[in-house]
Amino acid sequence: MDFELNPLQRAVIERPPQGTVFLQGMAGSGKSTAAAQRVLALIGQGVSASDILIMVPQRTLARPYVQALEAAPSAGGTVRVATLAGLARQAIQVFYPLAAQRAGFRDPLVAPTFLSLEAAQYFMARLLTPIINAEGLFASVTIDRNRLYSQILDNLNKAAVVGFQIDEIGARLRDAAQGDEEQRRVFEDVQRCALIFREYCLENGLLDYSLQIEVFVQHLWPVKPVREYLTRQYRHLIYDNIEEDVPAAHDLVRDWLVTCGSALLVYDTEAGFRRFLGADPVSAADLAASADEIVPFESSLVTSAPLRAFGEALAVSVGRLPELTEPADPREALAYDDSRYFPQMIDGVVSRIANLVHDEGVLPSEIVIIAPFVSDALQFMLINRLNEAGIRARAHRPSRALRQEQASRALLTFAKLAHPRWRQFPADVDVTHALVQAIESLDLVRAQLLVNHVYTHKSGTLGPFSSVPASVQERISYLLGDRYETLRAWLAAVNQSEEPADEAPLDHFWSRLFGEVLSQPGFGFHDDVSAAEVAANMIDSTRRFRQTIPSAGEGKTFAQEYVELVEQGVFADQYLRSWELTDPDTVLIAPAYTFLMRNVLVDYQFWISVGAPGWSQRLYQPLTHPYVLSREWLPGRPWTDADEVAAGQDVLYRLTLGLVRRCRRGIYLGFSELGEQGREQRGLLLMSIQQMLRRLHHEQGEEPHV
Amino acid sequence: MFKPRKKQEAVIAFQGGKMGVSAVPGSGKTRTLSYLASRLLIDGKVREDQEILIVTLVNSAVDNFSRQISEFVRDAGLLPHFGYRVRTLHGLANDIVRDRPSLVGLDENFDILSENEAKTILRDAALAWIKANPTALDTYLRDDLSENDYRKVRQRELERAVLNIADGFIRQAKDASLLPEDIRRLLDRRRGRERLDLAEMCWEIYAAYQHGLNYRGAVDFQDLIRLALATLNADADYLARLRSRWPYILEDEAQDSSALQEQILRLITGLDGHWVRVGDPNQAIYETFTTASPEYLRQFVARADVQARELPNSGRSTKSIIKLANHLIDWSMKRHPSQAVREEKRPLLPPLIEPVAKGDAQPNPKDRPDEVHVRLDPYTPSDEIETVVRSARAWIEEHPDETLAILVPRNDRGSEFVQALQKLDVPVVELLRSTTSARQIAGSLTLILEHLAQAVDPARLGRSFEVWKRDERGDSDQKASVKRVAQLLGRAVQVETFVYPALDQDWLDRDAQMVEALDADPGLRDTLETFRTTLRRWQAAVMLPVDQLVLTLAQDLFHDPLDLAIAYSVAVALRQEAEAHPEWRLPDFASYLRSVARNERSAAFLSENEPEFDPDAHKGKVTVATMHKAKGLEWDRVYLTSVNNYDFPSDEAHDTYMSETWYVRDHLNLDAEARGQLQVLRGELEQYVEGQASRDARLDYVAERLRLLYVGITRARKELIITWNTGRNGDKVAASPLVALHHFWGKERS
Repeated sequence: MDFELNPLQRAVIERPPQGTVFLQGMAGSGKSTAAAQRVLALIGQGVSASDILIMVPQRTLARPYVQALEAAPSAGGTVRVATLAGLARQAIQVFYPLAAQRAGFRDPLVAPTFLSLEAAQYFMARLLTPIINAEGLFASVTIDRNRLYSQILDNLNKAAVVGFQIDEIGARLRDAAQGDEEQRRVFEDVQRCALIFREYCLENGLLDYSLQIEVFVQHLWPVKPVREYLTRQYRHLIYDNIEEDVPAAHDLVRDWLVTCGSALLVYDTEAGFRRFLGADPVSAADLAASADEIVPFESSLVTSAPLRAFGEALAVSVGRLPELTEPADPREALAYDDSRYFPQMIDGVVSRIANLVHDEGVLPSEIVIIAPFVSDALQFMLINRLNEAGIRARAHRPSRALRQEQASRALLTFAKLAHPRWRQFPADVDVTHALVQAIESLDLVRAQLLVNHVYTHKSGTLGPFSSVPASVQERISYLLGDRYETLRAWLAAVNQSEEPADEAPLDHFWSRLFGEVLSQPGFGFHDDVSAAEVAANMIDSTRRFRQTIPSAGEGKTFAQEYVELVEQGVFADQYLRSWELTDPDTVLIAPAYTFLMRNVLVDYQFWISVGAPGWSQRLYQPLTHPYVLSREWLPGRPWTDADEVAAGQDVLYRLTLGLVRRCRRGIYLGFSELGEQGREQRGLLLMSIQQMLRRLHHEQGEEPHV
Repeated sequence: MFKPRKKQEAVIAFQGGKMGVSAVPGSGKTRTLSYLASRLLIDGKVREDQEILIVTLVNSAVDNFSRQISEFVRDAGLLPHFGYRVRTLHGLANDIVRDRPSLVGLDENFDILSENEAKTILRDAALAWIKANPTALDTYLRDDLSENDYRKVRQRELERAVLNIADGFIRQAKDASLLPEDIRRLLDRRRGRERLDLAEMCWEIYAAYQHGLNYRGAVDFQDLIRLALATLNADADYLARLRSRWPYILEDEAQDSSALQEQILRLITGLDGHWVRVGDPNQAIYETFTTASPEYLRQFVARADVQARELPNSGRSTKSIIKLANHLIDWSMKRHPSQAVREEKRPLLPPLIEPVAKGDAQPNPKDRPDEVHVRLDPYTPSDEIETVVRSARAWIEEHPDETLAILVPRNDRGSEFVQALQKLDVPVVELLRSTTSARQIAGSLTLILEHLAQAVDPARLGRSFEVWKRDERGDSDQKASVKRVAQLLGRAVQVETFVYPALDQDWLDRDAQMVEALDADPGLRDTLETFRTTLRRWQAAVMLPVDQLVLTLAQDLFHDPLDLAIAYSVAVALRQEAEAHPEWRLPDFASYLRSVARNERSAAFLSENEPEFDPDAHKGKVTVATMHKAKGLEWDRVYLTSVNNYDFPSDEAHDTYMSETWYVRDHLNLDAEARGQLQVLRGELEQYVEGQASRDARLDYVAERLRLLYVGITRARKELIITWNTGRNGDKVAASPLVALHHFWGKERS
């Protein structure tokens, strides 16, 4: 390892395996690097790898550790990486009868079913839809159903991770809400639905995320044998990004510290980006009181002075910093164009990136394009134009509905083709698109030609390539014909069984389809990492669904039910494929928070749509509230407009600082007067940047120009 | 350089407080307001974190304001785009609601439905009601309807009638911030007192409609305004923040504000805020479609704490035309045949228009009294068209550097004029229901979508090429050459050999005619290679959701800002269609868009993004416009047509009214009756008396049509011709105001 470690880092790494260290500092100050090396050092000091627990709030954040461990020669056993929920599930599985009895499950002898977010949403929809419709609940809110259910779940989760009773949800939200009485009454509906759902889970042995945490934290962790089971197993703790974790995790670790051999807690100052998921940087900071030593890493190892000045200027403009301390001129690290239209801005971004890559030899992986929101068209435009400029790019957008993914739509189409019994025969267009996706080098024109000749919509059947007239076969080409034939024959072979009982589970079907056909050379998923990832997520999601849902709706199989739910947008592509390796040849396109949660540094960042309000907006959810349902919030206090303004400024402050600190060389600010939807853009980030530029112009007596 | 007139200066000198300005047509109110905004900025009246808020009616005016202010500001050496924000009222409401959606129960990605989508939901609700109550409205039908007519009404008319009644009722209810549950409560409270069956019907439809919106997580345009007001009322601190952000509000076209819109601005200005409202109540012509009323502005101007100003000077028209317009005001106040109109409705009021003073930068055109004609000849509808079209054709031939418009009261009449002009090869510009440009954009996108839906079809390949080269259609040589290439591409029977040729199979090298064309035109190969690359890109985008696909195509096809804006709106409309019809695929979207492009179907984007129309850009051509669309514009010569007692009734015995349908008894206007029942519920009326609301609606209509006539007259700079026709059945007579103007003008001339 050719790490250049500084003395501060070395001191942390080389400590003897005793005591608790609270390591704090800004992003880019070398904390995680030191902590990852610390793991190796512990092993070097004779600690068994299996005694070490690396705890993170979200698995992507464990990347530095995984990379460090992969790079080092293995040292007896593997190091466990876990999240709070992971620990919870482990403990519940082992101690379920005990937990069930204490938590009020009806039948402690029935094995628990852990629900994914989607499965929870599915049960909730099944349970609550009739009640909501019959009683006219939620009449005063405008929200689509999927989001309604997910916000009720969110409330339950908040109760669990913050640590209040679920029957307080309604009152807490209601007391904080402004607005007329009518509007506030909706929180009674929220409360009611939350309780009904909880009751149902207890009745049926279902554990959604909130119950997993609650059962673990309230009913298992306080029990001595359970606690010892975990604390004896893991004697050495490395807990990173504690500011992104929930209070329940902080409480747990605080207890753990009492008995563990050594611990390293890593705290990123001015972060806390997962607030909407319950992250609580304040409760994280309180852990410092339990440490034997607090080690600050005070300076950034990466960010240049002009970039630091930029971060400071933004902090000043949102009132987070009284005045500038960094004398450098931020403009030295900034580039900006202003255009009237969105596509002009995109062209500007692409040409500057092309310049960096082709003329200045910057690695594409050292460039990231960041926007508050990445739409399909934006992603397509960027990737397409970058490709035309000879640069590879990929987008990372978690939490999208599976139905929005092209790859998953193709898989759905194939599933329908292989299961004629469902009588859901896909449209010609869908079959065409699925074939374009599935067969490498098959273009749209030839695919349409093929489908025109082989597909019968009425029966949902695909004919053999040999049935196509010879002249058309020639046009399509025999090579592509062969590939089609392989796929068709495979689907036809699956399509043997007519009885629902004989139907192979959908995840098996897709697994085989993917493994035996689509991922093979000559097929579309062979060389397409993103598509393969979507397929893997879809298979996971299907398997989990099958394993958790006790029975499907009437006359339907699980598979049908699942397909319908995906098409309704219930299922999301939210399985974070852990730490996929960065490809040095690829520019990343990501929403700002997604990039931050990858926790990597790059040379250049391109911020686009800086006028968009999304840079400073918290998530607006009418049925839940991340700030009000936090531990710091005094119950009964109203959430005022001043809070709202402060929250917006805080979001912008943390977000931009987080980005700046993850940038080594330069930031490009892309601005168009009219946004992607043709609307004028006047967000807080833009205003702050303009303020900064005007001030600089003013100070230097220059002609203003933006 | 703008040199304000004296009366304009009195507005520009505004220091603070409230000011109400009554302006006349052509008095330069946009420039005056823009200048005032820039003056406030230049004088440092707003802090760095504040903005002057300029509110206007339509999107095209937003651009106009922005441009003028930025010019003024730049002239003064300041940065444009800072310190002010120009919005339509809907745009402002949108800003407010998106600031704090949770306050009014909105999820952050709530959708605003286009009128079209909203109508679909409303129609479903109305149909469901009709199905459950098939004969409920029979009590309103005329007793003497034949069996045949009755059947016709049930089959053809009922749906439209119920839809219209409910639509008007819901608008009014939302304007009063009443939700279905409020209506229900009010109905229950009055139970047993009278029969409010129309209100009952509307409540039921309203409830179903609102449920439909909620379920989809969407709001309609009306809701947007209502919710913006609710947001302001919900959180006093937020309101205080907005007050501090926008210390000055300058409002244009204030005569068209509804009560709710006015309330929003009043809340934001508060007691101490600064608010300038400019408008011309005589030009309020949107009342029947909206809940706006010029009375709000009049009352405002009359308030004791409001500085009243007038902008009476106008350099637009000749003195003769000004005289005629002023006489119409005078006649409406003193001689209108209906006492109720004269005394209660007071459709037109002073200020009268005054010509500008000598030496003004925009002097009135030289007076030509002999070029003002108020004709009483009883033309049939087709005679009127023929006469006007011939006259217009002769005039533009003689005046190729001047502008001319034929103004009509209704769209269908306009289309007839357009056809007649086109038959005679007269160059014509349409300014009717939807702009050609929006339809062209929709048409271009349709052709590409159709190509993508059936990419194997060579004819569609050729058409795509023409669309791709749309920028060249202005030049007839280029257009012809594009057409030739498109035809050649249409010969590529095996489309794949052009788009994705296999090695050595490139159709460009294998088709004899193509090879010939390539030899003849050295640039053509490059063009076709680029086209091929573009096609591949489009085909790769085909799997995107349809709105995203359209956005992607738009970036390649359109460069004009307005075209892009329309394409964005098309994308949004398609997304909403996609949500409403999950089973739709590319061919369905293409055919939907085709029907919109052909004007067989309406869509919000046709009217949302109207370009600012500049009559002077169409010299030597005939513009055909509705009088509504003509508002704000001016031409050298104007024909006002169809000025008969059907389109411009005067509350006289022989008048008939569009909204009093033939099959309803006692001349009832059911839309109005339903709204009347709502007024009873709201306590605005003591009790419901059948027929009263119809009568009142009739008077409102009479008043508004008179203002429309005034708008029409004041569009003319130099020459004005007014005609009328006897109607389809030959039973209509000249409108009373037309007769009055005729006599007045006769006297003046002698």
